[in-house]
Amino acid sequence: MNNMEEKRIGVYVCWCGTNIANMVDVENVSKEIQNLPNVVISKDYKYMCSDPGQDLIVQDIKEHNLNRVVVAACSPRMHEITFRKALENAGLNPYMFEMANIREHASWVHTDRKEATKKAKDLIAAAIARVQWHESLEKRSVSVNPATLIIGGGISGISAALEIANADKQVYLVEKSETLGGLVSSIDLTYPYLNSAKQMIDHKISSVLNHPNISVYLNTEIEQVFGYVGNFETEIKPNGKEIKLNFGNVIVATGLKPFDAKKVLNYGYGKLPNVITSVDFEQVLKSGIIITRDGRVPKDIAIIHCVGSRNEDYNSYCSRTCCMTALKFINQIKSALPETNIYDIYSDMRAFGKGCEELYSITSKRNVMFLTFDHKNNLPQIRQASYKDSCNLLIEFKEKFSEESIEVPADIVILMVGMEAHDDAKEISHAVGVSMDGNRFFIERHPKLDPVATTTDGVYVVGTCQSPKDIPDSVSQARAAAARILATIQSGSVNVEVTTAVVNEEICCGCQTCIKVCPYTAISFKEEDGVSFVNEILCKGCGTCGSTCPTGAIKSKHFTDVQILSQIEGLMSLQEV
Amino acid sequence: MSQRVNLNLKNELFLYGAKDWNQCFQCGNCTATCHTTENGFFFPRKTVRQVLMGLTKSLQTNIDPWLCTYCGDCSKTCPRDANPAELMMSIRRYLISVYDWTGISKLLYKSKALEIAAILVLAVIVMILYLLYTTFPSGDTAQWVGPDGGVLINKMAPWKTIHLGDLLMAGGLVFLIVTNVFYMWYKIIYEDKTLKVGFADYLRPFSLLSKIFHPEKKYAKCDEKKLFTYWALHLFLALSYALMFVIIVFFLEWFQTDKVLPIYHPQRLLGYISTIGLLVGIIYFYTNRTIKNMENSKYSHFTDWTFLILLFLTTLTGILLHFFRIYGMPQLTYITYLIHLMVLVPMLMVEVPFSKWSHMIYRPFSLYFAHLKKMALVKQKLILEHST
Repeated sequence: MNNMEEKRIGVYVCWCGTNIANMVDVENVSKEIQNLPNVVISKDYKYMCSDPGQDLIVQDIKEHNLNRVVVAACSPRMHEITFRKALENAGLNPYMFEMANIREHASWVHTDRKEATKKAKDLIAAAIARVQWHESLEKRSVSVNPATLIIGGGISGISAALEIANADKQVYLVEKSETLGGLVSSIDLTYPYLNSAKQMIDHKISSVLNHPNISVYLNTEIEQVFGYVGNFETEIKPNGKEIKLNFGNVIVATGLKPFDAKKVLNYGYGKLPNVITSVDFEQVLKSGIIITRDGRVPKDIAIIHCVGSRNEDYNSYCSRTCCMTALKFINQIKSALPETNIYDIYSDMRAFGKGCEELYSITSKRNVMFLTFDHKNNLPQIRQASYKDSCNLLIEFKEKFSEESIEVPADIVILMVGMEAHDDAKEISHAVGVSMDGNRFFIERHPKLDPVATTTDGVYVVGTCQSPKDIPDSVSQARAAAARILATIQSGSVNVEVTTAVVNEEICCGCQTCIKVCPYTAISFKEEDGVSFVNEILCKGCGTCGSTCPTGAIKSKHFTDVQILSQIEGLMSLQEV
Repeated sequence: MSQRVNLNLKNELFLYGAKDWNQCFQCGNCTATCHTTENGFFFPRKTVRQVLMGLTKSLQTNIDPWLCTYCGDCSKTCPRDANPAELMMSIRRYLISVYDWTGISKLLYKSKALEIAAILVLAVIVMILYLLYTTFPSGDTAQWVGPDGGVLINKMAPWKTIHLGDLLMAGGLVFLIVTNVFYMWYKIIYEDKTLKVGFADYLRPFSLLSKIFHPEKKYAKCDEKKLFTYWALHLFLALSYALMFVIIVFFLEWFQTDKVLPIYHPQRLLGYISTIGLLVGIIYFYTNRTIKNMENSKYSHFTDWTFLILLFLTTLTGILLHFFRIYGMPQLTYITYLIHLMVLVPMLMVEVPFSKWSHMIYRPFSLYFAHLKKMALVKQKLILEHST
């Protein structure tokens, strides 16, 4: 602690062109702030984030021997990193910096120039009060073990494994079942180009099995992964033999489970023998002959979409691939049995993706009847037809576009079942420390900008365990994760969070409340001393423990009590003047 | 009661001239742009849907295709080129065959060969009857020519004989038309059990007349401005046709005279006017269908051509007959009269009850039935009437 040193603060008020200057009297603000205690210099400038703006800060730090800086500009989400870098360039610790947001919090949201100006001053005063208590924090990094653990041997896991192994890095590929390939192995052709799935996946599987850098463990499950980014370890028991693995990163590629169509009572799956799921029908197609259960060539085949998808009673999300799979089925049936009537009962045809709208377009010209149903409130009812109906099954429902009550004859009904998370998704999430959403799919760190990483450093989620997706999307994710991992292996080390929590062992009473609330399982209990201990590599500095700690023993770096309290005081200080 | 879907109905409709409207994905642009759409009548999307789903019963009781004015706006707006306008016309052909309880219409629409055969058979029958009951002007030409130089036509083909034939034919046609319209009513109004049409409602159709003879109102919202010309020429043609029909069927004694009347006499004037109407109409519609300059002439079923060709031949032989008669050429008059009848009778017998011509009857009745339907729906509060 060096609170005794003289504090020399530089304050910079940004115009942001006219964004701030139009509503806030920046020149006046900058002049008045000059008078606050410890403020050595106060300036306003058109664009603080520009190179000349940053240079201004660097020069002043050197010239006026500043040791703390406040920039009043936009949101810290926008430019905090920019200005921290500027401080670093001037030889100052980047954490000796505070930002006052006078754009989003003042100029953009107010219409009264006088009031907005006053608020801007208050916000800057708060930042000045806070920055006095800032401390230097040092960056830390850990070394990375170049091996990678991949959980799941489907198309995603295989793709990631080959990508990493081809870069000459060790991969441990752990698969729960007895074969590699996952669900892709069980399908006949892929959409939209109707290529054989078997040819594609068999080639990949043999590459994996013969790769010198990939160790494959079949019939094996992961119970618990210990450690932190760069330095994980786990124990597996393939064939009853215990093996200890050390690795630097983890890819979770555990895949999906098809929806259990028995849950939708209307469709009679499991009771009516000729009502089958899309998974069953893939087997029918692979067998090479399309016949009903009683061995007849079907005259009418109906396909029902959204089984278990987009309905509050089952799963509310869209499974993304079923529409195109249905179109693929139609084309395959049409080729095999040109005389068979096909009825496609759908809700919305979701034909996004390369080549998919084209597939829809081609299919719609193949003499298929497309019928719509209400997937939310009015599911079709399937019943056994009577002897005079000249078909096996009858599907009754209200057609949505025409509002007519209709019945559709069918000898085979194919239910397009959606994708669901595995039953053991929760165990996997605990084993590797990733979180699950309401549908038990694993959550990525950022839905747009960081789609394969998770909130646990070094753990990546790819493929259908993250959300329903098709093969190209799964492969893209797998290879993206591989690229991320290879980058960390290449650099040999990764930076870890600086603003972590620390326990003052003298005050800690050992109540362990913090251990229960920590979302990153970063806190453990030191039995011998009877106190809590924060693993600073796992800690993300969220502050939950700090605010829960009844004795005040936990300090969140950069968010200390004194920093926050003085910020509040600073906010109120100008009111009295 | 739910209706069974039928994938093959649309394949049947291809025979009635329909194009590939499987392209339709029910966006509803056609309904939005259609000026005929109003509460309770959703043009033409609903009809397209019925066709795609093969709902035979709904389609057979559907009145919408008759209300369509074929302006073509829907086909122009269609993002998938599914041609809803042409579909409406194909369904009209289908409905003509549905209303015809004899089943002949269905055969004639579906087979070009049968239609031509029917025309030929009728022509041969007419020829036999004509040869049996008329006298060929043999021997001295002078005895077949009157003092004013005109052929003594009643001497070779007495108007009474022809008139009897006309009346027999007209009787048959009226019988078929009346029974077919009754069947149409049965399908559209009677079979719809949700509809409650009171007896008094049937007596209030007169406001409709304005609708039929009010093209400005009918086409005001359509993009295609050529439709006004189209409407005017169509009306001219239809009136000329009707005039000629009434004259030859009911006033043949007055029309078929041995004396050559002066050119300003109503007999000749009316004859010339309706001939001009027929010729102008035929040329206009023939050109339209050939150069396909409007939506409503882009697609032609073979029955459209048959009607035009027969009408043209009838008109042409009629003109020749007239001139051969007034310029005193008895043999030519005799032969031309035969050919004239051999074209005219099959045209009427085939086209009026079984084919394209019947739209002249069904279209006004459909407006009437639609009116009844709408009144009933408003009364049952199934639709709210537009105050506009």
